[in-house]
Amino acid sequence: MTVAFSEKTKEKFKAILAKYPEKGAALLPTMWLAQKEFSVITPEVEEYVAKLLGVPLVRVHEVLTFYTMYAAKPLGKYHLQLCTNISCTLLGAEDILEHLKDKLQIGAGETTPDKKFTLSTVECLGYCGTAPVLQVNDDFHENLTTKKVDELLTKLK
Amino acid sequence: MPKPILSKNFGKKNAHSLGVYIQDGGYEAMKKALTEMKPEQIIQEVDKSGLKGRGGAGFPVGKKWSFIPKEAPKPKYLVINADEGEPGTYKDRPIMECDPHAVVEGAIITCFAVGIHWAGIYVRGEYVKSIERLEGAINEAYAKGYLGKNILGMGFDLDMVVHRGAGAYICGEETGLLESFEGKKGQPRMKPPFPAIVGLFQGPTVINNVESIAAIPHIVKNGGEWFNGLGAPGIGGGVKLFPVSGHVKKPGIYELPMGTPLREIIYKHAGGIRGDKKLKAVIPGGASAPVLKPEEIDVPMEYANLAKIGSMMGSGAVIVMDEDTDLVKTLRVLMCFYAHESCGKCTPCREGTGWMAKIIKRIEKGEGESADLDTIVSIANGIRGRTLCPLGDAAVGPALSFVTKFRQEFEDYIKVGAG
Amino acid sequence: MPTLTIDDQQVTVDQGTTILDAAKKLGISIPHFCYHPRLTKVDACRMCLVEVKDAPKLVTSCSNAVRDNMVVFTGTPKVEEARKSILEFILINHPLDCPICDKAGECKLQDYYFRHSRQPSRFKDYKVKKHKVVDLGATMVLDSERCVVCSRCVRFCKEVAGEENLGIFNRGDHSEIGTYPGKKIEHNYQGNLADICPVGALTAKDFRFKCRSWLLCKVDTICPGCSNGCNAVVHFTLRSFDGIKGQRVFRLTPRENNDVNKIWLCDVGRWGYSFIDSIDRLTTPALKKGEDFVKSDWDTVLRETASGLKTVVERYGPSAIGVIPSPHLTNEDLYALKCLFSCVLKVTNIDFKLPGLDKGEGDKLLLKADRHPNTRGAELLGLSGTGLSAEAMMEKVKTGEIKALYLVGSDPVKYIGEKAEEALSRAELLIFQGTNFNASCKLAHVILPGATFVEKEGTFTNYQGRLQRINKALEPLGEAQADWEIFTRLGKRLGSYPSYKYAEEVFKDMAREVAPFTGLSYQKIGPQGIKLTLPEGKS
Ligand SMILES: Cc1cc2nc3c(=O)[nH]c(=O)nc-3n(C[C@H](O)[C@H](O)[C@H](O)COP(=O)(O)O)c2cc1C
Ligand code: SF4
Ligand code: SF4
Ligand code: SF4
Ligand code: FES
Ligand code: FES
Repeated sequence: MTVAFSEKTKEKFKAILAKYPEKGAALLPTMWLAQKEFSVITPEVEEYVAKLLGVPLVRVHEVLTFYTMYAAKPLGKYHLQLCTNISCTLLGAEDILEHLKDKLQIGAGETTPDKKFTLSTVECLGYCGTAPVLQVNDDFHENLTTKKVDELLTKLK
Repeated sequence: MPKPILSKNFGKKNAHSLGVYIQDGGYEAMKKALTEMKPEQIIQEVDKSGLKGRGGAGFPVGKKWSFIPKEAPKPKYLVINADEGEPGTYKDRPIMECDPHAVVEGAIITCFAVGIHWAGIYVRGEYVKSIERLEGAINEAYAKGYLGKNILGMGFDLDMVVHRGAGAYICGEETGLLESFEGKKGQPRMKPPFPAIVGLFQGPTVINNVESIAAIPHIVKNGGEWFNGLGAPGIGGGVKLFPVSGHVKKPGIYELPMGTPLREIIYKHAGGIRGDKKLKAVIPGGASAPVLKPEEIDVPMEYANLAKIGSMMGSGAVIVMDEDTDLVKTLRVLMCFYAHESCGKCTPCREGTGWMAKIIKRIEKGEGESADLDTIVSIANGIRGRTLCPLGDAAVGPALSFVTKFRQEFEDYIKVGAG
Repeated sequence: MPTLTIDDQQVTVDQGTTILDAAKKLGISIPHFCYHPRLTKVDACRMCLVEVKDAPKLVTSCSNAVRDNMVVFTGTPKVEEARKSILEFILINHPLDCPICDKAGECKLQDYYFRHSRQPSRFKDYKVKKHKVVDLGATMVLDSERCVVCSRCVRFCKEVAGEENLGIFNRGDHSEIGTYPGKKIEHNYQGNLADICPVGALTAKDFRFKCRSWLLCKVDTICPGCSNGCNAVVHFTLRSFDGIKGQRVFRLTPRENNDVNKIWLCDVGRWGYSFIDSIDRLTTPALKKGEDFVKSDWDTVLRETASGLKTVVERYGPSAIGVIPSPHLTNEDLYALKCLFSCVLKVTNIDFKLPGLDKGEGDKLLLKADRHPNTRGAELLGLSGTGLSAEAMMEKVKTGEIKALYLVGSDPVKYIGEKAEEALSRAELLIFQGTNFNASCKLAHVILPGATFVEKEGTFTNYQGRLQRINKALEPLGEAQADWEIFTRLGKRLGSYPSYKYAEEVFKDMAREVAPFTGLSYQKIGPQGIKLTLPEGKS
């Protein structure tokens, strides 16, 4: 299978390139585009991105494996990212985690069989004042309680 | 309490739009700087303001700018650090979400003062809303002629770009950030050369935290002395955002004079300990700052004073722990964080953080051994001062302070586990 | 130029010199992993920490430049404690592989641990699992668990070999070296990875599990793989039971020479040594009887050869003899050949230039298109252009004008093909002197077994006109002899010829007779070679 950006994404890519003094610097934003377009950064996508930017393939793979937010494997429709860092843990993040595992019947780093939810534990999300916090795709849910989690999960069904 | 400056727009409706920002006196500092001031004068004012870097290291901002060579073979760059990843810290996000034009205006003034024509802001990947708001503000500023070519007809050009990170605490470290900006893994660079000489794309580079940059328009508008005077008497250095979290009644971001006693922040502003429990421990400056005991909280929140008692100001994030806190678990959380975020480039941090995490996890599980605490101390001492970047020392801060200041609690854990 | 004190000794060095290099100048070696003199600095391993007076922390000596009046200590308790600690960090996740690790005996980690630590392990938890026995390419195997993540290999590929194909994936203590999954390293400089890897993470397939490193003897040599003349060390064993049966030479490693090969070897050259102990080695003199070769002895074959050549000269004159030497031979071999054929026998048909000899594939770094170490030497000795070309000789053999053809290590069939094969099979007398059986040797009437480059003394002249020495590491296999020695013995039977006992004697005569070598001696050439002053138009 060969992958390629849609015309619209190609425009965006061009706009990104124009912003940087050096082409290689566009690697992270281009991988963001690719993740948006293809959901997963597969080897084909890595190769495509490397070619687009003229950067070595091995560098793309370094970047993919170094940063936590690029998806090398398919994620569920909702990516539940629970902060388990200090402020959130002080306010019960671990109970929320147990609750989520229980409810979804999966462990951290796993996806439900219906591909709806992926559960991840993540580092501090910068919402410590309203801890514990759960990031669902790009949205943040603050001051979590198990009850709020239940409500949220029903809404996301 | 004085009128807020940095946080004046927090929670205010539409404050992020150019119209509202201008109505409130926005971009006047930029006009003043570009039309009435010489670059050197701006740097002088910033120097006088006593503004120290709000990213953690607390380096005087004016002084940092003055290190940039006037003439350089490569273009100069401004990089704004919005990677905000230090656990407990959540102060830059509301600035970007509610007051993005303050960041843009601060960037314009900084670039004018240092002779820079390209500014990038590196925002952590999770801050999607911050990115949207910054991009919106930048577009508005371009449309208004505040960015782009020949700004205000003064012959000054500036482009500004938002760069999205992708999940790596180490990218908050300035040279790791530069690598990441260039499209690589965020592994710190060897220093020297310092970024002021060889930075982004090999050019001289100013790197400042969001809060540092957002303070610049206020300093330019009202003068360096005015800002300096906002700090506590005898301490100065202006005001700062203190994000408070953990077991307090009113967690939140408090804009207070530099030098405000920690006790006042916890008990007066943040409302004291939740459920009126007793205080057990407090981290004064983000996860990397060595923990303090209740008897130490009269310390003024300011760089030198905190250093004097063996801790640090860091990002100014106050994390409060009440008497019921399990410190073994808390330290485990922190050690796992550093092990997870170590970039892996240098030996002591790569191996030492992982080792400490394994030991503390084992202690938490009840499988600790009596020698473990000494081993942690010696691992920490093996990392301290020997790593390529400060992340190693950042991991050592909590490790040593938790284990030495609360040793009994750790020993009890080991005894019970063994029994 | 700053002057500083290191361990109470003063030293003056160039501005910008690092502490580590300054210490090296004083003979003080500071342990290091990531530092490599030919690669960019990364300041990563922290093994090279030293104490600098008035500095608040220990500093990395590999990256910090010296300052005037600096006072450095490289062996204080503080420094030793730091070394211990760094070594302990490395070892917590390191496997207990020394007994089967090819690097054992020449491993920096082993050596430093022995020198600076020797403390029992305090590590009680589980080690990080990483990939073992990863196939990285045609020649390399990776054991990630042994890797100390110094990134030397990554930098080498990118900075020297010009191929960004190795990376470090993941982060923290899960950092792992590798190629992009499924891709292989493809460049011609892979072998250097095994040399620069400070530990046994990158090993050469060719050397894997073959011999313990400490059983190997080492002798300086020159790589015979091409006309670049890369400085090398040959590793060999004197006792066949130490390694693989019948294998004496186990590897070639580079030797530093800034003017020639920096500190690298290419793979073509590095792994070209296998002919030395291969089964097609010619180990005894032999004569063709019918279709087959029959083992003979030196006296017999030398007698046959001498009388054959003599008869041809007497009957048809020297123009009925053709000589094709290979530029694989040393200057000494070639000079001895020249004395015999052009001085004693007055033969003019001598030509080493088989067509296509210099048409291999070269690259920008070291490897030259001409895969012969002494082409320039053969040219300087005038072994081409005095009579018929090698190609023309083939014609004359066919027409019967040339009766006897003497091949010294050369293989006309390989370079000319069928035409040569036809010619050689028609020659009245075909003598093959060389190290290994080849297509031309197959057609010979007489076989004289020659010594390989590790079995003799001598000199090569590289493409730049740099004269360099090779040294004798091993006795010639079987009854083989150095080519200059064979010519000396033949010479005695054919006329007046010097009785050379050592290659150095041949060199002395050559230095007297041949212009560019005038005034030189083995001593003057030294271990790094010497640039010859070449005649006009030959530089
Ligand atoms: C591990 C590590 C993480 C850091 N994270 C951040 C960060 O998220 N944001 C930030 O502004 N500075 C961070 N810093 C500090 C920066 O390296 C740098 O000092 C700062 O951005 C300079 O800006 P300032 O002088 O305005 O504070 C971090 C430092 C280290 C060592
Ligand atoms: S201290 Fe840690 S994060 Fe910093 S360079 Fe070393 S390994 Fe990387
Ligand atoms: S790399 Fe060195 S220390 Fe490790 S197993 Fe091999 S010889 Fe032993
Ligand atoms: S494989 Fe060897 S050279 Fe490469 S990083 Fe690991 S230890 Fe260093
Ligand atoms: S610790 Fe959870 S958001 Fe900061
Ligand atoms: S040799 Fe100096 S840090 Fe590795």
